[in-house]
Amino acid sequence: MTSTTADLRQAAAWLARHGLTGTPPTPLLATRLAARRRARGAGLVLLAVLVIGAALTQAYEQLSTGRFGGSGRHSHLPPLVLAGLTVGLVLARAQLDRWVRRVDRQAALTLPRRVAYPIPLDWRAVPGRPHAVYAVATLTGAVVLAASAYTAPDAAVRYGALVLLIGLLGVAAGIVVQLHDILTRPIVADDEASLTADVVLRVEDARECTTPVVLWSLPAVLLFGDGLGWWNAGSLVLVLGAALALCLVQRGSAPAVAVARHATSPR
Amino acid sequence: MIVIDVASPTPPFEQLRVQLARQIQDHTLAVGTRLPTIRRLAADLGLAVNTVGRAFRELEEAGLIETRGRAGSFVSAGAEQSRERARRAAADYAAVIASTGIDTTEAVRIVQAALAAEAG
Repeated sequence: MTSTTADLRQAAAWLARHGLTGTPPTPLLATRLAARRRARGAGLVLLAVLVIGAALTQAYEQLSTGRFGGSGRHSHLPPLVLAGLTVGLVLARAQLDRWVRRVDRQAALTLPRRVAYPIPLDWRAVPGRPHAVYAVATLTGAVVLAASAYTAPDAAVRYGALVLLIGLLGVAAGIVVQLHDILTRPIVADDEASLTADVVLRVEDARECTTPVVLWSLPAVLLFGDGLGWWNAGSLVLVLGAALALCLVQRGSAPAVAVARHATSPR
Repeated sequence: MIVIDVASPTPPFEQLRVQLARQIQDHTLAVGTRLPTIRRLAADLGLAVNTVGRAFRELEEAGLIETRGRAGSFVSAGAEQSRERARRAAADYAAVIASTGIDTTEAVRIVQAALAAEAG
């Protein structure tokens, strides 16, 4: 993958957004950012496919169980198909990460010298404790909500909860796959500025992958519409609480550049 | 920060060894700091695993790092012990110089010559 003038312009804008105005946009950074933009777009499509797949599974169940004139029998096939789809989406996510890694590796081959820091980054730096705790808390909250709904007497709600649990499992697996890749992908840098940019990219990617976009939409897609049950109130509280907590976490977290400078500076 | 320049006449393993040793000696890397795995550092620096392995082995032999099985490699207290040995030897040398009446400039020149002979 080669960088274009537009990619270089976007790289300059990215550097300015992170307060790295003294750093010139290099083809290396432009190429890496362009790959991430494309992977991010594809990743959002994967999440949309998961939400649509879960919604279709739920819709199929409602159509076939007699609410809209169906046979009244529950079928195990749609949840199995959804589980298969979820596994496929997690694998697709891993492939996307692998592609980004390949672009990085090819860009690194052009560097006459390589730079790294001698202290490995871990989850406390990338994405950082507040974001890690937030991701675990929101995911746990959503799983507890789905598991509680699974104990409801209404079969339709139980079915929705099962679909939700499958989706959540997929989301959790996707986050783990992505975070593992972000923490283990090789550094691509040839000086201090590109080393800082490398860490900023990691922090940005990690914080984005722990933002619960799907957790906010899945419960709503699957549980709303079955009357005003406590699980609906619960999912509303989850969405609003998670949004508020995200604002607080983002306000309380150090900017990605500060994390990068701390991670790469001598202790 | 570690910099590996492939165009440099110094072999990559030596560039890595020298930079890590310096950072351990000047406490940029504190005692107990966990280093990246050999495989990880090789990928980060675009080097062969054997190249990084050789640098780590030499640092281990010099007592600057220690490998604790699967837990990885850590900066050891060896650097501090080496410095303490050097301080003790310097104190002994200073005592010899004082007893023989050799002046300070010449004493420093003797040390520099000895260091040059050791390095060369």
